[in-house]
Parts: sequence; structure tokens; C-alpha cells
Amino acid sequence: MAPNASDDAPIIRGDDVVKEYETGGQLVRALKGVDFGIAPADFVAVVGPSGSGKSTLLNLLGLLDVPTRGDVRLRGTDVATLSDRERTNTRKDTIGFVFQSFYLIPTLTAVENVEMPRMLDRTPKRTRERATDLLERVGLGDRLDHYPDELSGGQKQRVAIARSLVNDPDILLADEPTGNLDRDTGDRILDLFDEFRAEEDVAVVTVTHDAYVADAADRVVNLIDGEVRPADEAAAEGST
Amino acid sequence: MRYLRRIAASFPTLVLARRNLSRASARSILAVAAVVIGVVAIGAIGVGGEAFKQDQLDAYEGFGGTATVNPVWNPNDEREGDRTFSESEIARMRQASGGATVLPVVESFESDVRTTDGEAIPMASVTSLEDPGEFYDAAAGEIPDNWRRTVVVGSRIANDNNVSVGDRLSVTVDGEFDRTFRVVAVLEPQGFAGPLRADQKVFVPLSQFDDREYDSAIVRVNPQTGSVDQVATSIESEFNAREHTVYVHPIQQQREAFERSFRTINQFLIGVGSISLLVAAVTIANTMLMSAIEREGEIGVFRAVGYPKTAVVRLLVAEATILGVVGAVVGVPIALGVGMVANQLLLGDPLSFTATGLRYVAIGAAFGVGTSLIAGLYPAWKAANKRPVEALD
Repeated sequence: MAPNASDDAPIIRGDDVVKEYETGGQLVRALKGVDFGIAPADFVAVVGPSGSGKSTLLNLLGLLDVPTRGDVRLRGTDVATLSDRERTNTRKDTIGFVFQSFYLIPTLTAVENVEMPRMLDRTPKRTRERATDLLERVGLGDRLDHYPDELSGGQKQRVAIARSLVNDPDILLADEPTGNLDRDTGDRILDLFDEFRAEEDVAVVTVTHDAYVADAADRVVNLIDGEVRPADEAAAEGST
Repeated sequence: MRYLRRIAASFPTLVLARRNLSRASARSILAVAAVVIGVVAIGAIGVGGEAFKQDQLDAYEGFGGTATVNPVWNPNDEREGDRTFSESEIARMRQASGGATVLPVVESFESDVRTTDGEAIPMASVTSLEDPGEFYDAAAGEIPDNWRRTVVVGSRIANDNNVSVGDRLSVTVDGEFDRTFRVVAVLEPQGFAGPLRADQKVFVPLSQFDDREYDSAIVRVNPQTGSVDQVATSIESEFNAREHTVYVHPIQQQREAFERSFRTINQFLIGVGSISLLVAAVTIANTMLMSAIEREGEIGVFRAVGYPKTAVVRLLVAEATILGVVGAVVGVPIALGVGMVANQLLLGDPLSFTATGLRYVAIGAAFGVGTSLIAGLYPAWKAANKRPVEALD
């Protein structure tokens, strides 16, 4: 799968990406030269033990951070050359985020939470249409005006997925999206990912501990100690 | 409702801010209370102080074109004891002032005033003036034109000792007289800044004194036709040619001096009031910091989904400002209410606000909103600059 993915013009690709940061006076090399490429409609699972650099990788893909060395290119543009403001705007247009603990705004209703990324755009009508449409597609058409504390965990995560898609992103980054959900609810989330990949051509990159999420992915990237381990990748594919 | 929602939708930051505040309502209410206290402190001190000033200045009314003349004691003066004016000096004063009224005053410092029950009124000071009606209006009774055996009483003496018109007071002045007088009039209150401090006086007729030594004099010209300053100058040149023997003090100047010292006191009080707004600012900064720390993850999400730093700053500053605006909106009516009570008590009309007094209320409100906004800046800036990576961990 991996070679195929990089054949299509990738949305985002990284070459020999190194990320170091300092913590408590110690230099930590979170990523030690990683290559990656994400093509449209890809479903990539990043697996690995905690501290392996998964979150760091996700932050780089999400333009929340820039690499120390090597380059990350989004449609050919080196993200390190973008200003903070430009990166924020690019992130808004390109990337959707789904978090393990949902991070819905408790004072906003379901539909307002979905609208939230576009609230400052001054296109309230179009935003409302898009948000309503997305909530209907995740099966929450009857919960538009419910507040997060009136929703179950699975429903919250579906609202969060709708929110991540409101700006028509190219990539959806999901950090342990099923981590707080039971198996059946988790299945529904994975189904939703498949639906949106098919309908919106959005690539999904998920960081997970969960082998069964990894099984659902097209491609698994095994990160250990800040490096991609092909052997483990083979093993992961073998178990499919 | 739909229309309202459309308006609200065009200020999404305010909608978000308001919703966020409603979630920590106890904290928000306390922060608002702090602003309210500050706004009320500044506004009420301002309006109340103005009412007090107005009340005091009223006492100067009727003293236009008036000056007090006091003798100055000189070390090489051969006469013994307190310097006083003699009958001839008063006559010279009349001459020098050219047509102005000169009213000699006797103040009896060694005097004793008692009610008919024998109760002493220690704060009363006995003053003798030819015609108190020249300066004062009677609140009760009538000030006689030509009086010999009655007294006129200041308002505080009357109020504090339940003295009213028709009552009798026994007045003793050492070496002069010891008699019982009927109270013929009680004066309107003059305020403590009033010239002669009439509120604490018992005025007795000049004819009661045999020995005519005057402690001071009051000179008065009709302000329409003459200038008291001119009269003051001519009296001074008549008496002070060789040495400084009299001191002429136009009451207008005393009024200005009072206004000056009042302004200083009021500014000090407003300063004290402002400190409570400073405390409010600290409270709001604390509220916003706590709220920013609590919502670190959420703010990280805002940043992650593409809100620029400035938008996050705007959101949190809007929250702080809303606290300030609500505080001002609640505080202004309270300040005005306190002001109305002060107006009623001091000036007798709850609506007698002065422009200056109202300006203090406006300043209080503006400061309330302004300090809240400034207090919100640091927490907002701090939250916005938190890297979303850390916020979302």
C-alpha cells in the first residue's frame, strides 16, 4: 500500500523529518528522520508504544508544529516557510482534527459545535447548511440543538467528526478517536471514516493503540523510538 | 427572535464569550460584583461630593459683594490684649468704604448659653451683629429690624438642642450681661463652610454690650453697583498705610479657597474609590486566568481548527469586557441612586445632579469597562500564545 500512496500526488509529504525538543533541560529526539506521504482518501494508522513519536508526527501533519530538520511539504509548499498566521489559515482549509476526548465546547449546541471552525467567516447561512448536512450524515439530524452533556460518548465523537469536516479538509487527523468508546460505537466511527473518504475524498490519519483500528486502515505505520520500523509494518500487515 | 439571532450571529465572538461566561456563573458574578463596587464607589463619591459642595456653596449665596475685616495684632502696638476695633475705627472704615454698609461684629468667647432647664449648650458661640437679616433668612420666626431683648439662633443649635421660636435662652457674657432672651428666629442652615459659621451661633443685639469693642466687621456693597474688591483696597490703604493693622478678606475669595480645598479632598476620595476598581481589575484578571487555564484544551481546539491568535485574544478580551460592561450597567443606577439620596439629604431635591457629578458616574463606568478590558489582555495573550500542541496533550 505504501508505495501506491506516494504515487498519487500526495497532499502532504515529509522527507527525513527530524523533530527535537527540549524538556527539563534534556534534548529529546522525538522523530529521527521519518519519511511519509499522505494521498487523497488514504486511511493510515500510526501505531506504536507511547513515547514513540506518534503525537509529534500528528502535530507535524496537522501543521501545529514545524520539523527541526528535513521538510514537510503541503502540496509542494514547505510548511517551515509559512508564518504562524499562514499556517493557521492553511490548517483551517486543509486539516480536520478529531480528538480522543472530543473537545466539544460545552456551551455550544451540537450544530454550533460543528459550525465553530467557521463561526468567524460571516457566512452563517452556508455554514448552518453544511453543519446540518454533516450532522445528518453522521446520524445526528435529530440532535442538532442538544448540548454536549446531553449526548453519549459516541454521539459526541460523531459531532466532533462533523466539526472536523465542516471546512472540507483534505486530511482528517484522528488522535485515538475510539479510545474512549466501546467496540460497537468505535465501529460506527470507523464506518463514518470510510463513508467520508468515499464521499468527500478526505484522507484519514489516525494514531491508535488499538490493533483493531489499525486493522481497518489501508496502511499501518509502525513508529518505535522515533523511527519507522518496516519489519513491524510487515508484521502488522501479516496479521490482517 | 429570529431577527435577534441574526444580529447575534454577526458578532460570533460576543456570542461565544457570553456563553463561556454563563458556564462559570458564580465566578462571573463575583467578578461583576467587584466592578460594580468600583463603579459605585467612584460614581457615588463624585455625585455625593458634588452635592456636598453645592450645599456648602449655597451658604455663600447672599454674600456676594461682602468682605470680612479683621484687626491684625502688631508686636509694637502699645495696647494690651486682643486687638479690636474701636467705634472710631469703624467710623473710619465707613468713611473709607464710601457708601458701603459696615456692620461691626462682637464675638464673645467667654460666654455661656443655657436653656431654661439649666442645660448648657457648649458649642454655641455668642455673636453680636447689628442686623443678621442682612445676610441670613429665617427658617422659622422673623428676624427683627430693630431688636433689643431677643436672640436669633443658628440652625444646628436649634436642631441639636430642640430650641424653637418662642423658647427662652439664658445668655451670660462675662463682664457684660447675664439675661434671659426670647428666641425670635431660627436661621436657615448654612453649612460649615459658611462665613461667620452661623449654624452654631446665638446672635444677640449689639445694644446689649455697653463696652463697644468690635472683634471684626463685615463690609458689604451692592454687587450690581459697586465692587467689594475696590472697597477692600481703599480700607486697606486707609488702615495699612504705616503698618499692617487690618486684614480685609472678600468672601468670594473664601469661597474660591473652599472650592480649591474641596477639589483636593474630592480627588483624594475618588482616588480611594479608584483603588476598588483596581481590585476589580485584579479579580477579573484572576477570573480570566483561571478560566483560560481550565479551558486550555478548548482553546487549543480553537487554534487547531484555524482560529488565529488574534481571534483567541479577542474572544477572551470580549469575555473580560462583558464582565466590565455588566458591572457598569449594574453599577451606574446604584451610583445614581446613592447620589439621589445624597441630593435629597443635602440639597432637598433628589434630581439636583450637577454636570460634574454625572461626569464622575460616567468616568466610573468608563473606568470599569476599561480596567476590565485591560485586565483581560494578559490572560488572553497568554492563552493565545500557548502552543496548541501543548494545550491538546
